[in-house]
Amino acid sequence: MLRPRIIPCLLIHKGGLVKTVQFGSPKYVGDPLNAVRIFNEKEVDELMVIDIDATRHGHAPDEAVIANLAAECRMPLAYGGGVKTVEQIERLIALGVEKVAVSSAAISDPDLIPRAAERVGRQSIIGVMDVKAGGLLRKTEVVTHNATKRTGLQPLEFAKRLEQLGVGEIVVNSVDRDGMMQGYDISLVDSIRAATNVPLTILGGAGTIDDIRKLVGRHTVIGAAAGSLFVFKGKFRAVLINYPDRNTHEGLYDCCRRVGDFGSE
Amino acid sequence: MADVTLVHYGLGNIQAFAHIYQRLNLAVEVATTATQLAAAQHLILPGVGAFDWAIARLNASGMRDALDDAVLVRKVPVLGVCVGMQMMAERSDEGVEPGLGWIKGDVKAFDFHLDTQLPLPHMGWNDVDPVSNDCLFAGIEAPKYYFLHSYCIVPTDEADALATADYGNRFVSAVRHDNIFGTQFHPEKSHNWGIDLLRNFVRQ
Amino acid sequence: MMKGFLAKKLSDNNTGKLEVGTVMQEPRPYQICTKLVIDTTDPDATFDADGVCNHYHDFKLNVEPRWDTAERGRAALEQAVDVIKAAGKGKEFDCLMGMSGGADSSYMLHKMVTEYGLRPLVFHVDAGWNSEIAVHNINCIIDKLGLDLFTEVINWEEVRDFQLAMFKSGLPNIDGPQDIAFIGVLFQYAAKHGIKTILNGGNIATECVSYPLQYFYYADLKMTNTILKKYGTIKMASYPFTSSFYRKIYMPYVRGVKMFKPLNYMPYVKDEAMQEMADIYGWKPYAQKHFESRFTRFFEGYWLPTRFGYDVRRVQFSSLILAGQMTRDEALVKLEQSPYDPDIIQQDFDYIATKLRISSDELRSFLSMPQKFYWDYPNNKSYFELGEKILARVAGTKRGGAY
Repeated sequence: MLRPRIIPCLLIHKGGLVKTVQFGSPKYVGDPLNAVRIFNEKEVDELMVIDIDATRHGHAPDEAVIANLAAECRMPLAYGGGVKTVEQIERLIALGVEKVAVSSAAISDPDLIPRAAERVGRQSIIGVMDVKAGGLLRKTEVVTHNATKRTGLQPLEFAKRLEQLGVGEIVVNSVDRDGMMQGYDISLVDSIRAATNVPLTILGGAGTIDDIRKLVGRHTVIGAAAGSLFVFKGKFRAVLINYPDRNTHEGLYDCCRRVGDFGSE
Repeated sequence: MADVTLVHYGLGNIQAFAHIYQRLNLAVEVATTATQLAAAQHLILPGVGAFDWAIARLNASGMRDALDDAVLVRKVPVLGVCVGMQMMAERSDEGVEPGLGWIKGDVKAFDFHLDTQLPLPHMGWNDVDPVSNDCLFAGIEAPKYYFLHSYCIVPTDEADALATADYGNRFVSAVRHDNIFGTQFHPEKSHNWGIDLLRNFVRQ
Repeated sequence: MMKGFLAKKLSDNNTGKLEVGTVMQEPRPYQICTKLVIDTTDPDATFDADGVCNHYHDFKLNVEPRWDTAERGRAALEQAVDVIKAAGKGKEFDCLMGMSGGADSSYMLHKMVTEYGLRPLVFHVDAGWNSEIAVHNINCIIDKLGLDLFTEVINWEEVRDFQLAMFKSGLPNIDGPQDIAFIGVLFQYAAKHGIKTILNGGNIATECVSYPLQYFYYADLKMTNTILKKYGTIKMASYPFTSSFYRKIYMPYVRGVKMFKPLNYMPYVKDEAMQEMADIYGWKPYAQKHFESRFTRFFEGYWLPTRFGYDVRRVQFSSLILAGQMTRDEALVKLEQSPYDPDIIQQDFDYIATKLRISSDELRSFLSMPQKFYWDYPNNKSYFELGEKILARVAGTKRGGAY
């Protein structure tokens, strides 16, 4: 059977790794390369690396850095940040990245997704949507450029659009929950899951393994991504890379089987 | 002489295979020309991408005839991965180009029971059930591998199925026909389960 | 373990053989100690008429008579713990310790919390080279003991620049930057949290033979500043430098911060300790002492033996022999094996180069550049020695072994 994907998410800012809170106040957590090497040795399911400067400052993905990170990964690597062209996507895949995430470009140049999928296959294209509650009614909308630009798009409508455009995966990233470590926005996940049929990965809010358990127990075929949870430890937020060991990981899988039995097993 | 020759036709994660074999202290050659294939002892045909685009790139690489010769005449062991495996079939639902035809059968879009609507692509770590525990899966306990695909191979001859997996439906996750091997999953991205499989392949 | 804390690296050069400004001596005819596995590759080693080295005699004369891990040791430890607890009453922490994830610091933490009930502030310094085993070990012990960890992440760009400067200097101790950071953070934490007792995992059982100063000299601000000025390319804006005056005079005598080494007062058999931690915490052992840092593994396992012909295992095994935890024959057999794993050294080499953002060829070029030693750079060594002498007189700090 298929296991839920438990995915550490690393943010790159000024060449170093950081962890943000609600997309702000980046805290330095070290050098990306050694962190990726440790995550590889911990046999993580997948890894997601996002350059949070690239789109905002209009620069292209740093291919030299990405190649070095990819070389450390014996598991799939997803990269996001500053991706605007089919050629960039092709080059990133050739460097050893499995999945390339597009976010703002999916809005400014929606045609990018089908054009890229024709080359690298839709399974390698991720549509990322950063969502944030805004305005008087605190209505959730899609934001871009590190949450500095509002789009006016509703998450559900945008998720459906990404699916139609042909992405292989949608990553839903909650700006409001980023770094808060108080749990995922389950109701948002429920509604997006009901409206789409591509693999979903949820990011933003996981504070404990229980938060992940709740998510995968409910949806089974899902990616549970987290930043703070896998780089911080304890009440002082000590930087210490961690990840569920094999037993804990298998335990999550047990909770899935109970709630989401499918197929012939 | 290289222990493993990676067919570099412009698609697929060549680097990941190269790193793993280097760490196993095996000599790796990245082949971009027909001449390099002539001396190959083990071939890897990787692939990430769409079926027609992959076939087009392989044709354009100038290596196709030499590849056919190595695999079909010299019987060099070959391992196709993901689209690299799908290309070995006769045709695919994903495109209109004919495949390499090394394995009798077609590549089909995932077809679920009506009562299970699972997300596609099939993405993530899935248990793999080998039909036989020798060759590729020798010594690998509770094998699980990373999958990322929307299409799967359906070999005409059931005996060509080397392993299956279950995602809504049971499908063929690895094939073998004589010297021709293929995996739908990505051993190069499946930690030690994959490294062991890639090591087993060069023992063929 | 925070090997960098070991004062012995700085203080144990009492053979007087190497003076500032001297050039290397003529190579001596090869000789190996008949009791230990120290040989003439150790510049500090001298041998008596029976072929026994000075380390052996130093241990027998200065260390062993005072070393008690049975009743007397336990009584002394209990007394020390009472003092620490009393001083820490009403405070969140009663002592401070650094945690590398290595065996010494892990075992010390385990014992001092579970058996002696101390409440340490535990911090970890991340200089960018942690191994997976190190983070695993820290994680599992901290979790099971219900403690809360602090981590100080040293800016990687600064570590990198500092380490590259050390390579370019031609000096042996390219691992100095990590140790300087560990010590610096230690004292910063002591000052910031007002903690008077620092627990140190240094111990006689596994470390009583000192590392040769010629290869390990570091933590000298004058020398460091010279090297950084000459070979550094960026400003060390946040690197936790501390002067030896601050560490050796101000903190201990003005602020009253004392270093304490509990492992010297209890039985500490490394293999048994590692097994105990594996059983209780799921702790994982390392292939060799200090290998919790990938860079230290490279430095001690490959760089020193290859570039300087010096193998740290001679010191480590000799300590274990003196402590009765290894036989000389066992040590000789182990020394027959390469100090590094030949199957993975190329990958390690490439990783070090990639991480430092230089080519493997450039890293290789450092391997064959002319050897330099501390006497080739301006340094404060003579002040340290004078200071040590005065302190020994005034405060009775003259050490015996790792005390």
